[in-house]
Amino acid sequence: MTGVAVTADLDPTDAGALPRRGVWPGLRRRALFWVPVAGIVVLTVLTVAPGWVAGWFGNGDPRVCDLSSSADGPVAGHPFGFDRQGCDVYANVVHGTRASLTVGLTCTLIAFALAVLLGTLAGLRGGLADRVVSRVTDVFLGFPFLLGAIVVLNSFGERSVLSVSLALALFVWPAMARLVRSSVRSVRDAEFVQAARAMGFGTWRVVSRHVLPNAIGPVLAIATITVGQVIVAESTLTFLGLGLRSPAISWGLQLSNAQAQLQNAPHMLLFPSVFLAVTVFCLITLGDVLRDALDPRQR
Amino acid sequence: MGVHNGRAAAIGVLALVVTLSGCSGSDDASAEDGTRSVSIAEGEPDHLNPGRQTVAFDQTMALFSPLTSIDSDGELQMVVAESVESDDAVTWTITLADGWTFHDGEPVTAESYVRAWNTVAYAPNAWENNGQLANIAGYADLNPAEGEPTTEEMSGLAVVDDRTFTVTLSAPDGQFPLQLSQAQTGFYPLPSVAYDDLEAFDRAPVGNGPFRMEGTWEDDEPITVTAWADYPGEAPTVDEIVFKPYADMNTAYTDVQAGDTDLMFLTADKMTSAAGDFGDRVYSFDAPGISFLGLPLYDERYADVRVRQAISMAIDRDAVNEVIYGGLYEPATAFTPSAEQGTPVGLCGELCEYDPDAAKELLTEAGGFEGTMEIVYPGGAGLDALYEAYANQLRQNLGIADVVTKPSTDWAEFAEARTNGEMTGPFFSRWGALYPSQQNTLRTFFTPTGGCVGCVPYTDQEVIDQIAAADATVDPDAAIEGYVAAQELIMADFPAVPTFFETYNFVTSEAIADLPAAVGSPILSQIVLAEDE
Repeated sequence: MTGVAVTADLDPTDAGALPRRGVWPGLRRRALFWVPVAGIVVLTVLTVAPGWVAGWFGNGDPRVCDLSSSADGPVAGHPFGFDRQGCDVYANVVHGTRASLTVGLTCTLIAFALAVLLGTLAGLRGGLADRVVSRVTDVFLGFPFLLGAIVVLNSFGERSVLSVSLALALFVWPAMARLVRSSVRSVRDAEFVQAARAMGFGTWRVVSRHVLPNAIGPVLAIATITVGQVIVAESTLTFLGLGLRSPAISWGLQLSNAQAQLQNAPHMLLFPSVFLAVTVFCLITLGDVLRDALDPRQR
Repeated sequence: MGVHNGRAAAIGVLALVVTLSGCSGSDDASAEDGTRSVSIAEGEPDHLNPGRQTVAFDQTMALFSPLTSIDSDGELQMVVAESVESDDAVTWTITLADGWTFHDGEPVTAESYVRAWNTVAYAPNAWENNGQLANIAGYADLNPAEGEPTTEEMSGLAVVDDRTFTVTLSAPDGQFPLQLSQAQTGFYPLPSVAYDDLEAFDRAPVGNGPFRMEGTWEDDEPITVTAWADYPGEAPTVDEIVFKPYADMNTAYTDVQAGDTDLMFLTADKMTSAAGDFGDRVYSFDAPGISFLGLPLYDERYADVRVRQAISMAIDRDAVNEVIYGGLYEPATAFTPSAEQGTPVGLCGELCEYDPDAAKELLTEAGGFEGTMEIVYPGGAGLDALYEAYANQLRQNLGIADVVTKPSTDWAEFAEARTNGEMTGPFFSRWGALYPSQQNTLRTFFTPTGGCVGCVPYTDQEVIDQIAAADATVDPDAAIEGYVAAQELIMADFPAVPTFFETYNFVTSEAIADLPAAVGSPILSQIVLAEDE
């Protein structure tokens, strides 16, 4: 709302570009922005080139396993030690990044697209469309998130990155859609939108050039946080045996396999959980920082 | 808030009382009133009627005595039977020993058996252990493929006098005396009081065993049995056994650790930690169970015997045993478990020994392996680590690029696919026999009517004939030779990969000093208490 007001004050006809211009200098000066960004850059490298990073210590293949090293601690060439199957924990943790991040991003993108579409429709049109979308989001928000995902995944049968992402997206989009709706509603009657309408621009142009750019800020921030939450949810489901399954390599699977051996081999649990925690910390912190910058009223 | 705290305090006190009484509860059994009691962690029974139970072996074996039993040395002993004899392996004469009665005083007679067996075999009763009697002549009349049976009695059973009856089999079977042993509870006698009210009998059975039922079995409540003073067999060493039902065996495990429960069957997921938690109170007994890696012989990639042998030699059974089973299992070296009489241990030779180089060579000779090898097993049963270990070894040792595990959603899905011959790769296959004869395991896996359909999708007429010939042999030693000959025939085709001779493992509290066992299971009436040492 405030972001909108600021831009509206400045220049109603070129509203889209301004929030960025206003946000960036603020962000740039904050250490809390750069820390998660650095973390995310590292994670991106792990996701894009896991083989290269995993190979740093000479044993980069996560599928080379020797039962005789089962649950052994760190040794030279195997900085994180071995898991129960005698596979290198470092290589597995590095390769696990991709599954976790992919699920997080895929799920959030699907939910985001759905939320923007339905939220804008509801916020802009109002009336029947608004009522239908609002009630549907109410219904979905009524399900406990994890329980809903468990039920859906159980009926899917197949467990892949895509199916897990879809199941989670099904329960993530309503919260975002509500946010889009309220954001859009607050902008739709703004003077610059009315001005654009008065100039005879079509609905598509009004929405894409004037309404959405001003309404999307808070949603982007929330979406970033959501990526983190989805990664946690994926790990939880996988830990419970409902998410990804072997031969997929994921942190949730590694945690699930490690829990039985916690007393004998804590390193098996430690390293995947550190990676998971740092990833989620980075994403949620970045989301928070973005939200603060885009929507200072909530700071 | 004040109310809240008050309630919390009350709960705290209550918890303390419960804890204290809980402690004294476990002690008083042996100390205060002199009752020498052991408690055993069990799942909730399905039935206590021996003709019906499928999971209450411990309870029914305490309440009833079998005709014959296998002792701790694996030898066949007579219990209620004085003799079980036949000249042709078709007609068996069973003579009962003198002096056996049920707990209510009714003598155990030939009629107690014949009537019970007819009841178990009568299809409309739908008793679970019906199949154990399938080889008795006339069984088919009581179990017609369609419609109601026209008779209620099997033609193969005839009472000679109070203590003698004859059993005629539909196919000769020299292993019949072994089939009458303790775990085949379908062959137990029933007292006439049972037929008055079968429902009530199921809840409070009157047996002929070393222990008698105390009270009635209530759902999810402990079942107590007490030593029966007039028992004509070997007197029990304990006065009382309490079977405690647990929904979660992890809870039972910590209870046994704490000494609140005295004995439990060790589940596979606890095998690696048991030695650390219980030290020398882990008991491992050779059991009549065997695990295979079944192979989809209907898939032409597995048609060459060298491929199957290569898979066997690429598995490091010792390493798997150590990591998955805490070293409690025994690598398999034959097609029947070592606990079964006369099993040719070592028959498999180097084909069951880990030799990755030879394995790779065999696979290359056979033309390699195309595509993805999927290892299929029932999901949600805690088998993931085992099959992942197999997959890793097959991938690395055979140089097959893609070896993946593929758990089914649940047991039903897996069983259906296996029965229908739709396995897409090496798969889970195991059997635990109820009597320790090679016959049981060989029949189950290698004959079409064996009962584990699809477990080893292999039918070879020569093997089937050889098993039948061994079945028809009365002399136990000659029969064993026959079964070994059948295994040698199977060995040449190597239709499945023997992986482990199973053991049944138990952990005890400090109250138990020794646990005698037979056929993999503890003899509950002969438990040695620590206070007696």
